[in-house]
Amino acid sequence: MNYRDENGLRDVLCDKLAGEYVLGTLQGGARRRFERWLMDDAALRSVVDGWRARLTPMAEFAPAVRPRRRVWRAIEGRLRLRPGVAAFWRPLGLAAMVATLVLAVTLVQWRSREPAIDYVATLSDAQARAMLLVTADRRHGTLDVRVADGVDVAADRVLQLWAVPKEGAPRSLGLLPRTGAARFALPPNALSADVALLAVSIEPTGGSPDPDKPSGPIVYKGGWVQAM
Amino acid sequence: MAEEVLQDSFAAIWHSARDYRPHLSAPMTWMATIVRNKAFDVLRSADHAVEIDGNDFDTAVLRALEDPGLNPPDALQLSRDAKALAACMAELDSGHRQVVGMAFFHDLSHSELAHQLAMPIGTIKTWIRRSLERLRTCLGKQERA
Repeated sequence: MNYRDENGLRDVLCDKLAGEYVLGTLQGGARRRFERWLMDDAALRSVVDGWRARLTPMAEFAPAVRPRRRVWRAIEGRLRLRPGVAAFWRPLGLAAMVATLVLAVTLVQWRSREPAIDYVATLSDAQARAMLLVTADRRHGTLDVRVADGVDVAADRVLQLWAVPKEGAPRSLGLLPRTGAARFALPPNALSADVALLAVSIEPTGGSPDPDKPSGPIVYKGGWVQAM
Repeated sequence: MAEEVLQDSFAAIWHSARDYRPHLSAPMTWMATIVRNKAFDVLRSADHAVEIDGNDFDTAVLRALEDPGLNPPDALQLSRDAKALAACMAELDSGHRQVVGMAFFHDLSHSELAHQLAMPIGTIKTWIRRSLERLRTCLGKQERA
């Protein structure tokens, strides 16, 4: 099939193919041709993104499945995350949510309802390396932080996590421990709609002397986005 | 196999987090797309005629699609986008809904769907095309509302 037709027809065809590509019915040679075309056509990619936004939420209709603990351990090993306190993080919801999709193609007997993650942020350093993963679970009122290897602070300094609203002063969410994982009580204002960013600053022991703003440099930051 | 997919997907999500473009897609859409693609890649390369523990799964999913209000605890966990989609899916004819759900969850082509449902491929194609058009119109209306 020649996808590069005249404009009007082309748009209609693009849209139809993009929808079928995302849905999954476009298969075989047609799918491969479409993917090649996708690589060098930004307009087509945005049509595909539109269909993904429309159809992917369907994945949530699948029953949730909780992965076994060893899955978390394997992921930690692969990403060289520091082993944290096991009870903290593993059973939490990011896996459960993503696993709903895995279930779509395979299997599995045991079902359990896991807490949902409401907000998530990946905090990166100046070189855009992902250094921290922060997730919030509103139902359980917890904020979990996971630190990648390679985060080092001087002995007399600590890392402090901040919620940065679009306007007004940043709010401290807590001090990060030196181990790989931490859980905080979720401050009620951390999830308010005006919080756009999470940031981490280097502070003297005990945290920033000014409760309303960091006193040291911001070393990591990332958008705070609603997950579900 | 599902666990391997999950591990691969987490690794991919972690390593490609810097490429994520928030203005282009919601984070769940982005992550879910990675997981779904990985899962189907694995299944295709393994050439698995996966025995989708089909009936139970499809029944559960289709029930959710027909009326997400039936099961309140589940409905509460749905994102806003998923609720909007569920409402629009509920407006489709039940046959259309089934075809769309099967295609999405089982990665079936038109001809595979036709085979599974013992229906002419032309009908399947028409149903898919109409369903996608209706979903788009319906979701567009909700967005403007």
